[in-house]
Amino acid sequence: MASAVNSLRLCLRTTRQLQCLRVAQLQPPRSRRTLSTTPIRWAEKDSAEDEGDEEQTKNYSDFGNALVDLQRDRKYTEEERKQFSQDLQLWEALTPAERDGMTARIKSIKAATAPLKRPATKKKNSFWNEEEHDTDLITNEVGEDDFEEDDIVSLGHGKLEEHREHREYARLAVWEMPLLSKFAKKFEPPTQDEVLRFRFTSYMGEFHPADRKVVVEFCPTDLKVLTEAQQLKLKKLAGSRYNPEKDLVRVSCERYEHQAQNKRYLGDLVDKMITMAKDPTDMFEDIPLDTRHHIFKAKPKFPVEWRMNEERRAELEDQRKKALLLDESKRMNGTLVDGVRSIQEAFVTFPEPVASLQPAAARKGTSRSGKSQARVMR
Amino acid sequence: MSVPTTLRCLVRPSVSRHVPRQVAAVVWAAPFSTSSSLAANPPKKKAGTQVASIRSGKKMQLGKFKKKAPGGRTGKAPLPGERKSVRKRIQLSNSNALPVQGLAELTPEYMADKRNAGTVVSLPGTVQDQLRVVEAFKPTQYWGMFRNPSMLVRAETVDLMSRMQQSAEKKQTLKLVVSGDRITGKSMLLLQGMAHGLLNDWIVINIPEAQELTTASTEYAPIPGTNPVQYMQNNYALKLVQAVRKANEKLLTRLTTAYSHPELPQNIPINSTLMQLANSAKEADGAWFVFHALWQELMAKGQGRPPILFTLDGLQHIMKVSDYRSAAFNPIHSHDLALVRLFTDCLAGSYQFPAGGAVLAATSRGNAPRTPSMELALSQREAEQTGAEPPKHDPFSRDYDTRVEASLKNVQVMKVSGVSKLEARAVMEYWAASGLLRKTVDEATVTEKWTVGGHGVLGEMERASLLTMRP
Repeated sequence: MASAVNSLRLCLRTTRQLQCLRVAQLQPPRSRRTLSTTPIRWAEKDSAEDEGDEEQTKNYSDFGNALVDLQRDRKYTEEERKQFSQDLQLWEALTPAERDGMTARIKSIKAATAPLKRPATKKKNSFWNEEEHDTDLITNEVGEDDFEEDDIVSLGHGKLEEHREHREYARLAVWEMPLLSKFAKKFEPPTQDEVLRFRFTSYMGEFHPADRKVVVEFCPTDLKVLTEAQQLKLKKLAGSRYNPEKDLVRVSCERYEHQAQNKRYLGDLVDKMITMAKDPTDMFEDIPLDTRHHIFKAKPKFPVEWRMNEERRAELEDQRKKALLLDESKRMNGTLVDGVRSIQEAFVTFPEPVASLQPAAARKGTSRSGKSQARVMR
Repeated sequence: MSVPTTLRCLVRPSVSRHVPRQVAAVVWAAPFSTSSSLAANPPKKKAGTQVASIRSGKKMQLGKFKKKAPGGRTGKAPLPGERKSVRKRIQLSNSNALPVQGLAELTPEYMADKRNAGTVVSLPGTVQDQLRVVEAFKPTQYWGMFRNPSMLVRAETVDLMSRMQQSAEKKQTLKLVVSGDRITGKSMLLLQGMAHGLLNDWIVINIPEAQELTTASTEYAPIPGTNPVQYMQNNYALKLVQAVRKANEKLLTRLTTAYSHPELPQNIPINSTLMQLANSAKEADGAWFVFHALWQELMAKGQGRPPILFTLDGLQHIMKVSDYRSAAFNPIHSHDLALVRLFTDCLAGSYQFPAGGAVLAATSRGNAPRTPSMELALSQREAEQTGAEPPKHDPFSRDYDTRVEASLKNVQVMKVSGVSKLEARAVMEYWAASGLLRKTVDEATVTEKWTVGGHGVLGEMERASLLTMRP
């Protein structure tokens, strides 16, 4: 019965129209107060646990009492308690003065080691632990740089140091450098046989990648062992290492580690070039000397004939005088041509103020027939 | 228990009456209508108050080339060839310039006389016409500023004319190249040579611009039966024959032919005048053969031929490989062009002119290709003339041309540079008398212009004094 009515009710409900303004009142979930002025009271602990803790942190004024308690304590094993009883016997054998001394000693040790046992806590308002003692410093640097009115400034110290240096070198110059003249050698110009000129570079004992480099220069025409044709062949062999302006062959070497090796190589190379130049099988006569690698720079020089001297000055003076005379004579003859005057005279002789208004043919005719009074040439 | 509650729900009305229904207050327009809507007009923008957009007037240009704005240049475009004719126009007179009185007129002997160096001389009308026909005047020269064409006789002119006269007297051929810096008067010297020749009854043949022959701007064709192949340029040959005919009319009517010319289409019997021969070139076809026949007649010995002057301007252009191509598309050397070959052969001395004459060539500096062989050859000839050590070939250069060097083996070189101060004075007096130089021509003015003009380079002096007056 009930189920029949219920199903009827459900059917009706499906056909029912919902009310527009019906709003379900939802209950918000109950929560604790978010803000409170009273402190939170936690549930209390069991009292038995508190008592056990108290027992463990008990302080003893006498060492013997502590041993007695340890002996009775069930927490320790049988062997340990036996050890405690032996210690107690030893303690009781001592005189009261000795006991007091020992107690006092233990107390002092405890007091001394107390700060070590204390855990290290970070200071709250420290900036990079500034106030911490630095064990790496040798001196205590506090106040070291403060000027205490008993010294000159560092600039002054620098100046003094400079003076000392100068004086040191002055002493060297006066006392020790004259001794060097003992090693001086007289310059001997190279002889005709010494045609090679080597160049070495020294960096005063310092290591430098270029200190091994050796350069040799020689003039092919100085090689008297060669004929002219052979010298020309040598120049051709040298290629771009030949400077046609200075007539020099320059070869360098830094292939080997030491200067001496490089020099040896260059010497051998020159020997080889000379032997090849002497070789008559091919004298390279069909190849002209190539100088394309070299740029011939023309250096303009002040011409000798432009130099100002008395003769030249007189010559110029004469020229100017002649020119002025020519001007003057023309002026006297009336043959000096003036462009402006010739135009003005033409206006007088050709009175054509409306020349542009006349027809072109008529204008032409008048200009042809008009007598010209323009300046006469020559 | 459940029965009464369930029954109660039957009693309860399903719809509550006290809640009012929401009715839509919107007035609907017709969703579709053919009549226009009667909406109010949008408010009009107030003028002036509106701020212009930042990008107003600007447009992003996407392409590389901008489209031309509509409109632009209007008017008729110049006809083909019109611009060129304006550019190449030769004006020899200016009626606004003052006529200069007391100028000597050119006579046959005038320019060869040493005493006439440093004077200005005017060209007679007949010579003007002849020179115009052979295109001796150049559009870059300042003829159009003066009343009448006049020219300065300078030391080089006297030198050249006396050499020409000597060679004509000795029945030899003067082979000479005029070289020098820009606008120093090389072409002018050729013009003076031509004027001298025309006045002295020489046959004058002039090639005014050598580049017209070699820059592939005129037609060409291989000459049949030549080995190695030579090329004729008929159009240019026609122009040249006509120029020769007009310029030397008086002489050509007097001279008669010595050979029959079977290769010509028109029959020219022996003893007919050379004018007839020249007249047979009526069209470009066969013009080269007419010119060749004319040349052969002029070379005929024992026929009382006059001296010949053959000139060419812009020598560099014929001293290189031309821009023409052979049938196999190989570049043609300039010396394989028949007319050029004729000139270079004359320059090399292959032709013996029956009554002597001169072959003159001028180099060009404004528009000329580099020709290392020609430069070297000319500097060698120059050094030989002065007795200095002649310069040698660069052994590693590939730019040299043996044909060019062979053609310039026997030439004389005349170096043209600035004029002297006396000559400069003469020419400046002429300018002032023409009303073109508004200054007193005294030593100060002459020295000023002479110095500004690079120690008397005539073109530079003209620029410095006349250019403000140029039309």
